[in-house]
Amino acid sequence: MLCEDKMIEEYPLLPEPKTVRLKFCKTGALQYISHLDLQRNFGRILARADLPLWYTQGFNPHPKLVFALPLAIGCESVCELADIRINRDMPCDEILRRMKKATVRELDFLSCYEANRKFAEITYAGYLVKIQSPMNMLPAEADVEKLLTSSPLIMIRKTKSGEKETDIVPMIKKVRVSKDENGLCLRLLLSAGEGNTLNPELVVSALRQHLAFPGEEAEYSIMREYLTDGSRKEFV
Amino acid sequence: MFSSSLLKSVSKPGRYAGGEFGQILKKREDVDANFAFCFPDSYEIGMSNLGLRILYGVLNKDPKIRCERVFAPWTDMEDKMREKGILLCTQESGEEVRSFDFLGFTLQYEMCYTNVLNVLELSGIPLLASERGEEYPIVIGGGPCSYNAEPMADFFDLFNIGEGEEMLPEIVNLRIKMKKKGASKQEFLREAARTIEGVYVPSLYDVSYNEDGTVKAIEPKYPDVPRKVRKRIVKDLDTMFFPEQVVMPYIECVQDRIALEVFRGCIRGCRFCQAGMVCRPVREKSPETLLKQAKCLYDNTGYDEISLTCLSISDYTRLRELTDGLIEWTDGKKVSLSLPSLRIDSFSKELMDKVASVRTSSITFAPEAGTQRLRDVINKNVTEEDLMRSAGIAFETGKDTIKLYFMNGLPTETLEDIEGIGLLAKACVEKYYATPGHGKRPPQITISVSSFVPKPFTPFQWEPQDTVAQLEEKNQYLKEKITDRKIRYTHHDARVSHIEAVLALGDRRLSAALIEARRQGFRYDAWDEFFSYEKWMDVFAKCGIDTAFYANRRKAEDEILPWDTIDCGVTKEFLLREKHKAYGEKTTPSCREACSGCGANCLGGKDICCAKTK
Ligand code: SF4
Repeated sequence: MLCEDKMIEEYPLLPEPKTVRLKFCKTGALQYISHLDLQRNFGRILARADLPLWYTQGFNPHPKLVFALPLAIGCESVCELADIRINRDMPCDEILRRMKKATVRELDFLSCYEANRKFAEITYAGYLVKIQSPMNMLPAEADVEKLLTSSPLIMIRKTKSGEKETDIVPMIKKVRVSKDENGLCLRLLLSAGEGNTLNPELVVSALRQHLAFPGEEAEYSIMREYLTDGSRKEFV
Repeated sequence: MFSSSLLKSVSKPGRYAGGEFGQILKKREDVDANFAFCFPDSYEIGMSNLGLRILYGVLNKDPKIRCERVFAPWTDMEDKMREKGILLCTQESGEEVRSFDFLGFTLQYEMCYTNVLNVLELSGIPLLASERGEEYPIVIGGGPCSYNAEPMADFFDLFNIGEGEEMLPEIVNLRIKMKKKGASKQEFLREAARTIEGVYVPSLYDVSYNEDGTVKAIEPKYPDVPRKVRKRIVKDLDTMFFPEQVVMPYIECVQDRIALEVFRGCIRGCRFCQAGMVCRPVREKSPETLLKQAKCLYDNTGYDEISLTCLSISDYTRLRELTDGLIEWTDGKKVSLSLPSLRIDSFSKELMDKVASVRTSSITFAPEAGTQRLRDVINKNVTEEDLMRSAGIAFETGKDTIKLYFMNGLPTETLEDIEGIGLLAKACVEKYYATPGHGKRPPQITISVSSFVPKPFTPFQWEPQDTVAQLEEKNQYLKEKITDRKIRYTHHDARVSHIEAVLALGDRRLSAALIEARRQGFRYDAWDEFFSYEKWMDVFAKCGIDTAFYANRRKAEDEILPWDTIDCGVTKEFLLREKHKAYGEKTTPSCREACSGCGANCLGGKDICCAKTK
């Protein structure tokens, strides 16, 4: 907290605690931080930001913090969402300003607003996968599309109840393949949400298994770009 | 910079990714000197080190200097790096370590030496200082082990003896100044040794040996090189640089909390303890300073736990003021306070209540020896009564688990002393049941026994260590004495202690063994899963080194010791006096009761206990 900041106590108490939603990115170095580590560090960011947090009652009080959709290690994102709960009427733009000061560029907060939609509505997540490769090594676009749209494509998926063989094609809502001078671009819309999230890493593994591409050493990046509800409208 | 495919292929990639809040990013072209600061262990251990937090801040405070962090890569990463020929990089910029002007290592324990060599190798830097040209970084060592870093002398260009807050920026700035004038590394090293207090340049000394293997002489190569290198201390801790920001690790570290350094030094003088001797004299921070620093760190880190650090917190003269102030401030916040290093004799109900917020049912005491006689020999100055009183308070307040730390193999030790360890634990069990209002569960008393390692600059530096066989026999003896299931007995591996003693008491001839150890791929020897006694003994045998000569030999009092070049303030006369008192089972009062004339007051310092001395 800097001295020019208003004290928390200067903001009026709310009659009821209020939930606000934070949208943030997780890019660059931060893609290597696990969801669990992110959760732990989020508490510290909130503390540094000095927000009027509402604490759970009970033996071990802690701030309320709910994430929309965990992000796998090695995956970047520009559309992460987390809900926090406050007990004083601090404006959203002030919360955003404080959060931005308390973090790094690669875990930056993009917006803050009062949330009304439930995370349970999230049904799909859109990803951009970029695989670096020389032109002559690339598989044909049609082959990639065919592979990812012809059921069954059985892959081993890690779920809460252990590893499971799953046909991933029904979980791939949309595929668009393109090439450029750097390599292959995949735009994917994958199913997302409690117990039903397809990790885009698995799509890359499928390519590797069936098309021998990309090679073990190839550099590729995965970016989660947006979330949608069941009717494929953006979820915010 | 580590590539993304590499990072995705190793465990805990967060160790190498950087990107932490609080890291300091500068550009190479904006500074005059680049300093890579290495903690030669895993990221999780290194990021917990207070010294790193301080020195990282001190160096970066200087606009001419850029300091970045380096850690030892974990073994899976190392394997990949070697396979692909990738060199070690710093955390912040991902630039290769070997492109830096300085590479500093903090040497916290002897068993990290093989990691130091591994880091050099993985950075593409020749191990031997004599084989490194102008194009390589100047390799600096500091930390507790530098008081006798002779086994590592051939690998380092210079050592920092004592506290680095002032010395390190002076060293870097001297280099900047001299480099601009075109001076060579050798010229710089000699000038640093000549003009900066606390700088020890091992290559400027010739060491010769007697036929019996002992040191014959340590001679400076040039007349202007100091015969003795005096330890450097920071005189006033209140005005000393204080890092207001901590680099915040995302992945879980060993010490993931605010560390508030309360004072340096120790008034006690336990005769086995190196830190207690080399950190003298005591210098305290004021509660006002500490409170201000705690608040500042809380705001800047968001940590929810503050730990007060020092060698013995209960010896802080203004502890009450400090804890009251902290409690008052933390009350409204969700911050908890922990006080490690409590002494048995000062344990009180009041103190206990203050740290009650720490959610633990266990408490730790360190009587160190099993009988009063032996505690007098080592000058521990606590009695069985003290322990029983403290244990009683702990039991009263609902604790049912006590951990007791001991050492075996101490000078003059007999089996009676070993048995005494078991008897003390038994007395604790009885005390539990005799304490009104004790808990419902049966008590759990854990005895943890480590083996005594004679350390330089202690009254016991002349003592032989028990052989591994003797130590193991004592461990077995104690094990058989303990039949009560409420007493749990654990002990350290005596074989590790043996290697530790060799490296702690060693001289320059050990460098051959360290090179051989590196050649055979040793690293992470501080980790049980990688340490191999058999392999170490093979290495020593191969290099013609008799480990018993270093670890198990009683040294003559007039013998020249490998570390005699270093002056840590405490005089040899004092250490000898203490040694003789130990044999007479005579204790020495703490510095607060009476000054024993150890010599450390000659170092100066805004200090409370030494002010009384002549
Ligand atoms: S000079 Fe005296 S008071 Fe100061 S540290 Fe030494 S023994 Fe203690």
